Amino acid sequence: MTKVEAIIQTSKLEAVKEALHEIGVEGMTVLEVRGHGRQKGHTEVYRGREYTVDLIPKIKLEIVLADDLVEKSVAAIVNAARTGKIGDGKIFLTRVDDAIRIRNDERGESAL
Amino acid sequence: MATGPTLASELRDFYSREFALVREHFLRTGDGRAALAARTALVETIARRLWERHISPDPQVPEDVALAALGGFGRAWLFPYSDVDVLFLHAGNATEEKLKNQIRSFSQEIWDLRLKLSPATRTLAECDRVDPENFEFAMSLLDARYLAGDRRVFTRLHDQVIPKLVAREADQFIKRLADLTRSRHAKFGDTVFHLEPNVKDGPGGMRDYNVASWLALLSAMEQLRAWPTEGAPLPASARPSLERALEFLMAARCFLHFRHARDDNSLAWDAQEEAAAQRIGLGTQAEEPHAPLGPSDWMRIYFSHARRVHRICLQLLEELPTTRPSLYRQFQSLRSRLSNPEFSVVGNLVFFRQTDSPPDAAAVLRCFRFLARHGLHLSSAAELRIEQSLPALAKEIPSGAELWHPLQDILTAPHAADALRAMHSLHLLTLLIPEFAGVDSLVIRDYSHRFTVDEHTFVAIDNLHQLFQSQSKWDQRYAELLDELEQPDLLYLALLLHDIGKGAKSENHVSASVLIAEGCLERLDLDELDRETVLFLVGRHLEMSAALRRDIFDPETIHAFAEKVETPERLKMLCLLTFADIKAVNPEALTPWKAENIWQLYIATANHMNRSLDERVHADAHDEVMTHLRTLAPAAGKRLENFLEGLPRRYLLTHAAGEVLSHMEMAARLSEDSVQLNLHRGRHWYELTVVTPDRPLLFATMAGVLAGWGMNIVKAAAFSNSAGTVVDTFYFTDRFRTLELNIPEWERFKTSVHDVLVGKADLDRLLRARQRSEKKHPPKVKVNTKVDFDDACSAHSTLVEVIAQDQPGLLHRISSVFAREKCNIEIALIETEGQTALDVFYLTSAGAKLSPEHQSHLTSALLAELGN
Repeated sequence: MTKVEAIIQTSKLEAVKEALHEIGVEGMTVLEVRGHGRQKGHTEVYRGREYTVDLIPKIKLEIVLADDLVEKSVAAIVNAARTGKIGDGKIFLTRVDDAIRIRNDERGESAL
Repeated sequence: MATGPTLASELRDFYSREFALVREHFLRTGDGRAALAARTALVETIARRLWERHISPDPQVPEDVALAALGGFGRAWLFPYSDVDVLFLHAGNATEEKLKNQIRSFSQEIWDLRLKLSPATRTLAECDRVDPENFEFAMSLLDARYLAGDRRVFTRLHDQVIPKLVAREADQFIKRLADLTRSRHAKFGDTVFHLEPNVKDGPGGMRDYNVASWLALLSAMEQLRAWPTEGAPLPASARPSLERALEFLMAARCFLHFRHARDDNSLAWDAQEEAAAQRIGLGTQAEEPHAPLGPSDWMRIYFSHARRVHRICLQLLEELPTTRPSLYRQFQSLRSRLSNPEFSVVGNLVFFRQTDSPPDAAAVLRCFRFLARHGLHLSSAAELRIEQSLPALAKEIPSGAELWHPLQDILTAPHAADALRAMHSLHLLTLLIPEFAGVDSLVIRDYSHRFTVDEHTFVAIDNLHQLFQSQSKWDQRYAELLDELEQPDLLYLALLLHDIGKGAKSENHVSASVLIAEGCLERLDLDELDRETVLFLVGRHLEMSAALRRDIFDPETIHAFAEKVETPERLKMLCLLTFADIKAVNPEALTPWKAENIWQLYIATANHMNRSLDERVHADAHDEVMTHLRTLAPAAGKRLENFLEGLPRRYLLTHAAGEVLSHMEMAARLSEDSVQLNLHRGRHWYELTVVTPDRPLLFATMAGVLAGWGMNIVKAAAFSNSAGTVVDTFYFTDRFRTLELNIPEWERFKTSVHDVLVGKADLDRLLRARQRSEKKHPPKVKVNTKVDFDDACSAHSTLVEVIAQDQPGLLHRISSVFAREKCNIEIALIETEGQTALDVFYLTSAGAKLSPEHQSHLTSALLAELGN
């Protein structure tokens, strides 16, 4: 099993969710996060004061998948989230040892 | 029954069998009280059997020890899966030591029956004091009931120890009970109206009923020094409704216990559906079949009972002096000074002075205005008087200004939300605004919302008022915006109505809310501009949240959002509404992430509105704004087009449709008089609009006249159309109260402005006279002058932003520099924030942008004039 962590632009959340649903991925966790890579911050001057956003608001999706779904999911996320500009985000993959369904103690891929 | 080792299994079977019968009876009849009595009797039987087995079969032996039921068991209200509270009461330490092992065996047997026993062991002497670490035990003694053993010992406890303890420690009892209750209420946000309430511990639940009973009992025992003869003396007027509430809550809690097979008192959504289907709490199941009851209707019944219980509990907490925290008592005398000829204030409670007849509508509304201003509560006497006035009020419901003006005062007062809740709980709010009935105690299935729709509305209104008290840096930014609003009453009214459509069973609650709000606004007889504003806010209340889901740093997003919002004033209102609305969803909804994003979207849009000033209106355009104007003034035709042609789009964003048409009429009168003026008083400042043909030094002259009269310009907007007609609006404060204190001065002031502009009066003389009469005061906060240019934001003009120390005559000095440096002001936007003037101008020179050298020269001239 693999955990897919995708940091994407906030405006791309609906498109990414839809793309994942289309390939049969329903469960996910969504977090509101801030960060930046090479994308510079944003400064707005309002009434003589500067308001600088160094850490840009982003959305982080976390999904744990059976290994055979990982590449399809990554492709779906990339296609839906990409604009081609700096700030599009990143995807990280990590191995997961086990998963347990709290309701009935199911383990492994069948718990996903 | 058999003796020996089979007793345990026999009791287990007995309990199981009898419990099943209790359950079956409840499912058949829905009678909660009967279920509690039956389970109590069942557990009593088992307790007595085990007492006989482990302590003594002979009731005369041993002496000096008794078994008593406490808490719910003592009240004979043992819910299906509640703990069983018992007291092993000893006359002295001797029997306690002697019976230690037998008591342990007794307790073990009960636990083995899977009954959750909570045993306490005390001597009579130990019961005679309040343990600060275990106050709950002292409270539980109020419900003590004899079960087994030496009745004399129990009688001494009941007839002597407890009454003396209460008489001696009543203050402490009442105060601790009040503290615990307030703390418990605070955990639930001090509201009954949760979407999934807790029927035991939540406000308005069983615990509140018990608290009300205990408070009434303690108060009576303190005076009588004995048990009252008829149980807890709850207020007579409240008893019938409290009894009905109790029956309902008992049935609801029994239902939950049987459903969950444990002591789980949470009314989750699926439980609500089942409770509604089974008509829990609404009478026995043996009655004729009724029409199906939906979960939201059943929950409304729950909330009406819970609201009643909560109110009585709070009233008793307020009305018993010792329940108030000591700090409150210090403020009592201060509060009393709030009394006036109409209302007297005792502690935190309001009473009507006039008691001959029920108060009329105006007096009732004045009462709630009084509550909203001072954060007071209605006494039970005042509530009764208002309830008595409702039938007459229902026959002649106030409308128009008679309703709107007091409602305005209530909405804008610091404690508006609490006043509205009080109005709502007395059914007065739905009488005055019938549209609100649709959302009364309305549960909407939404995993993010915490409260019913009506409560959500009150929380949202409170969120705005709380901004002024908050120390959070985010809240302070929003508080500044709120303080700048010209008409905050319209924002609060929009908040009151924004979700009203949720009661309409429509797919789209926003459009339903607009439709319903229209009727309400018509009845309040708001003028057209104000109605437009409220309907805009209601209709667009989700717009900002939608924009947040796009890229808020993308100019296209900002542009699209700015088009929808139309004016800077509406932008501020929508921003504040969004802030309050999200924060009212649940306590965690407005994360710092969201608060920052809302702020970023606001300032980006505000800046966009400032910096896209230069786009000009084309009168033949058919966008939303132009279409709306044509609809409002169909006869204006060409006159409207001629007036609008060439005006910056920002003009249409700054002025509502009604104002635009009024300016158009002023422009039409220029042939009679080349200077048309309009002066009126707004919430914060005066507003002077000048419509006149453009000419050199016009803006500087206007600013000079105002400075000459001692007026402080805080905002200004200057625009001109293709025909060279200028529409300049100046917002100013009257530093010396010249206009405020002298009505005739209004005309003299307008005449003075007119005469200076047409050249009949001398501006320099006016300014010299002012300078001679005024003392210069050093500024409290030093602001350095800053001049910034932006050549990119306009195709035709150069934007210059001047930030400087605000002082009288500043605008005249700046615009005079522009005139001397041969710069023409195309557009001016003036703002003031505290001691800082924030002025934005679009300038041209000889019809073109300013060259870099000209900009540099202008900078030097401004710095020389204003200092740095």
